Amino acid sequence: MRLLTKITLLNLLLALAAFGVGGVRVYHKFRFEVQRETDFTLLETMDEVVRTIQSGVPAADLQNRLMHITPLAGPQAAKDTYTDTLAMHPVLKRPELFRRLQATRTIDGKTYRFMVMNVVIEQSDISRIIKNVLTDLFVVLGGILLVFNFLLSKWLLGPLNQTLAQIQAFNLTSGQVPEFPRSSTTEFSQLNTFLAGMLDKIRQDYHTLKEFSENASHEIQTPLAVASGKLELLLDTPSLDDAQVQLVQDAQQALSRLSKLGEALLLLTKIENQEFAPQTPVDFSALVGTDVQIFADLAELKGLQFSSRLEPGVSLRIEPSLAHILIGNLLKNAIRHNQEEGWIRVALSADQFCVQNSGPEPAVPTEQLFERFQKSKPSGASLGLGLAIVKKICTAEGWAVSYTYEAGTHCLCVAFANA
Amino acid sequence: MKLLLVEDEKALLDNMLAYLNRGDIVCEAAATFREAQDKFLSFAYDIVVLDIMLPDGNGLQLLRLLKDAQPEAGVLIVSAKNALDDRVQGLELGADDYLTKPFHLPELNARLKAIYRRRKFQGHKAVQFNEISINTDTHDATVHDTVLALTLKEYELLLFFIANKNRVLTKQTIAEHLWGDHVDLQDSFDFVYQHIKNLRKKITAAGGEDYIKTIYGLGYKMNG
Repeated sequence: MRLLTKITLLNLLLALAAFGVGGVRVYHKFRFEVQRETDFTLLETMDEVVRTIQSGVPAADLQNRLMHITPLAGPQAAKDTYTDTLAMHPVLKRPELFRRLQATRTIDGKTYRFMVMNVVIEQSDISRIIKNVLTDLFVVLGGILLVFNFLLSKWLLGPLNQTLAQIQAFNLTSGQVPEFPRSSTTEFSQLNTFLAGMLDKIRQDYHTLKEFSENASHEIQTPLAVASGKLELLLDTPSLDDAQVQLVQDAQQALSRLSKLGEALLLLTKIENQEFAPQTPVDFSALVGTDVQIFADLAELKGLQFSSRLEPGVSLRIEPSLAHILIGNLLKNAIRHNQEEGWIRVALSADQFCVQNSGPEPAVPTEQLFERFQKSKPSGASLGLGLAIVKKICTAEGWAVSYTYEAGTHCLCVAFANA
Repeated sequence: MKLLLVEDEKALLDNMLAYLNRGDIVCEAAATFREAQDKFLSFAYDIVVLDIMLPDGNGLQLLRLLKDAQPEAGVLIVSAKNALDDRVQGLELGADDYLTKPFHLPELNARLKAIYRRRKFQGHKAVQFNEISINTDTHDATVHDTVLALTLKEYELLLFFIANKNRVLTKQTIAEHLWGDHVDLQDSFDFVYQHIKNLRKKITAAGGEDYIKTIYGLGYKMNG
């Protein structure tokens, strides 16, 4: 829910509570005042009549529907009492609430009992009027609040919305830290200063890391190249015996493995850093075709039956070198984890790329094989990074990769969600 | 063939010099941007081997200057930075080939010879090795004028051997040359053996001498 909507709703809720409490209070106050005023009028009317009687008019002449005067036998002292009573209304022909004053007065030595009545405003009328007025007020207030908040959102929250839009548009790999708008609101200007600082720091860290991984790669590969070259020169000297040759060769293989490991880890870092920007569409079918030729050769040399069914013209957005790594890793995997006289089937369609192969059941659950350094066989030539790289590439491209094993068949499928 | 090796890593430079400085190759070395620039402004080279990362300047910038000074010189870029941008940019600037560190010295040798062939013998791209001759245009190999029916891999293998004649080639080096480094070594060693066996069979069947010798536990060597 938007901030302003929340504020508006809260305001309205608060107003509702205030109106409720206020309404009840107004009702009681109003009723009290009305009663006081009515009682006062009744007393006035009676005093008027008393004065009229004092001037010599007989009391019986002054009686009417609202004024009963009863002469009493002797002097009686009684307090004036006010009561509510129901009586038939002469016009409306129905019982109505009346206010009644009962009092005794002694005029010229004669004592009279007075009973004066008058119609009062009913409670339901009072409450109805108050409700109507308050409802009208509430509607007007709500309308004013809505208009006011709408204007407020433009003026007060404008800088915040702009900041939000700028953060959303920020791209770590290529973008500059955005110039946030100045705001006279303290919180917003603090937020913008903080964000600008943080984004700048993140961007710097990102570039430092990127540079570091590239330099680290260079610094590691150079000595490896030197060592490997020295060993090659050593092999070229004719005086080595068989055992020495074997030692040199083992050392060379270890170096080569180390070098490949460094490359693979650097590649993973680069994919994680999203250094491979989205590319223009490439002919994925052609890429698969090239790689399939290389690997079909290797598969056949290893005595594996290799078949492929590639739909032509499948076009995808991917960096071609990444595509080759993805395809190569999948095919390499299928060759390595195969069996004697096994088979490999490669299929490419518009929405997925699948590599199936025969092979023994994997020792660990198939999903775990996507993790780094997870191998189905502890020894072996593999680095244990091939499928981790496949997974990373797929994640980066927004594709789904799955690995299933059923009845001697391994099936690795990449589904192009964005194709 | 006259080479200029531009490489700031002394040990690596020594390796390349030790391996290449034989027979018909003359090598000169430069360790810095300035030194390299001085050299190619003063002397003519057939091929310049260029390390992209130099202490006092960018190798790609050096490549631009080189192409201005000696447009006919071949260029092989060597870099540890397997950054795609550099590769593409280097090739766009007129480099002939790109090699990523670490590389095998025979691989470097073979690439240099291939560049040299393309640059020097335009129109007459033939490689002669005793009775074996290879036409690199048509990918035909002949022994005593008998055309060998070679597969693509066998053809590449033969060319690789001739480029590195009288040198020991390990199975590892050969495998990486044939299938690139995304093919794993152990897997491909047997394939190397298969291909070499077939190649030798085809050469001897055509009446050629069996120049490729197995060096036990190590690899192969073409004597000539």
